Amino acid sequence: MIQKIHAKVIDIASYLPDSILENDELAAIYPDWSAGKIYEKTGIKQRHIASKDQTAADLAYLAALNLFSRNKVKAENVDFIILCTQSPDYILPTSSCLLQNRLGISKNSGALDINLGCSGYVYGLSLAKGLIETGAAKCVLLLTADTYSKFIHPMDKSVRTLFGDGATATAITGIKSVDQFIGPFVFGTEGNGGLNLIVEAGLSRSPKTDKTALEVFDSSGNIRCKENLYMNGAEIMEFTLKEVPKAMATLLEKKGCKKDDVDYFILHQANKFILDALRKKLKISEAKLPIFLEHCGNTVSSSIPIVLEHMLNNGIFGNEKKLMLVGFGVGYSWAGCLLNFKIGE
Amino acid sequence: MNEFYEGMAEVLEVDIDQISPAFELQNIDWNSLAIVSTIALVDECFDVLLNGRLLDACKTISDIENLIAAKKD
Repeated sequence: MIQKIHAKVIDIASYLPDSILENDELAAIYPDWSAGKIYEKTGIKQRHIASKDQTAADLAYLAALNLFSRNKVKAENVDFIILCTQSPDYILPTSSCLLQNRLGISKNSGALDINLGCSGYVYGLSLAKGLIETGAAKCVLLLTADTYSKFIHPMDKSVRTLFGDGATATAITGIKSVDQFIGPFVFGTEGNGGLNLIVEAGLSRSPKTDKTALEVFDSSGNIRCKENLYMNGAEIMEFTLKEVPKAMATLLEKKGCKKDDVDYFILHQANKFILDALRKKLKISEAKLPIFLEHCGNTVSSSIPIVLEHMLNNGIFGNEKKLMLVGFGVGYSWAGCLLNFKIGE
Repeated sequence: MNEFYEGMAEVLEVDIDQISPAFELQNIDWNSLAIVSTIALVDECFDVLLNGRLLDACKTISDIENLIAAKKD
């Protein structure tokens, strides 16, 4: 058996901002929703919200510091930064370049941002694997960070109940082994769904104007303007139930394994009702498809690594586990991969 | 069909006895969350994916059943 350098996830940490938005507070402003109903439907009790002057890159910076404090990886080991965010600090320069400086990472490092939402973590792993297994990088710092709360109108319960801010940091390095730890991958894109999850105004296609700031009511009584996050929940549900099971089947076929060979299915933590619907459709037990968003809501590209971090810190990965990760959402964009995860070496 | 009616009663937050083909959706809050939940329910019961816009236009449970029947054909 020939040993080759294979990319491996070494450690994961997260950072959630201090300010918390509870269901009680939301129920007080949305008269037809009780705190209990919000929890029952979404599976979410609270969301962490970035402060006014705290950006996604700030959250990513703190997640990276949390990662380095665990002593598995140091800033000086990193030679490539990937930041997945849809809330960059500036139109330009690239936020990951600024983070290189803030984190004291070597200037002989690569840095790039990827603009993806819920599929972003799996995309980030695929890039990290490519960089490491071609010898282009030795240690990749994969950061995910978003502050959707800044795009959300306070009176839009369709999204304010769901999304929370947060960031994660994952270290990926090369290990000599016979088998691969990350992969295979599947990807999917359906750009005609782009308008169903969108912040329409604010950049080149539709710069902010008085017109884009005009607030309107929708048929469910929510208020938003073109500069706010809009989500067509029904379209997203239809897309998810159509594409995610297919992507998962393709991934199993690619690997030549069965559903039962997978220990845990770590799906993007969109909300409880989407995850329940997927779980029933896929006929996967509750124990094998963790729902872990009660304390933080839907954190977009950070949702999958937040589950992984939790499982890691609670000893669930003591022995090597075979995981399937699937991210899906804004774009539409989806991506899945298998991940062999073992900690404690 | 029972599983579907039971599910609809839960989604619409009404008593199961009230659910019949003639049940008027406009009498309750036929909002986006109810529609999203119905998409998931119909998929679970019938393995049929309904479109949100078409569901939004439904006036009665019977209209939803017609959509399901049309998709099954």
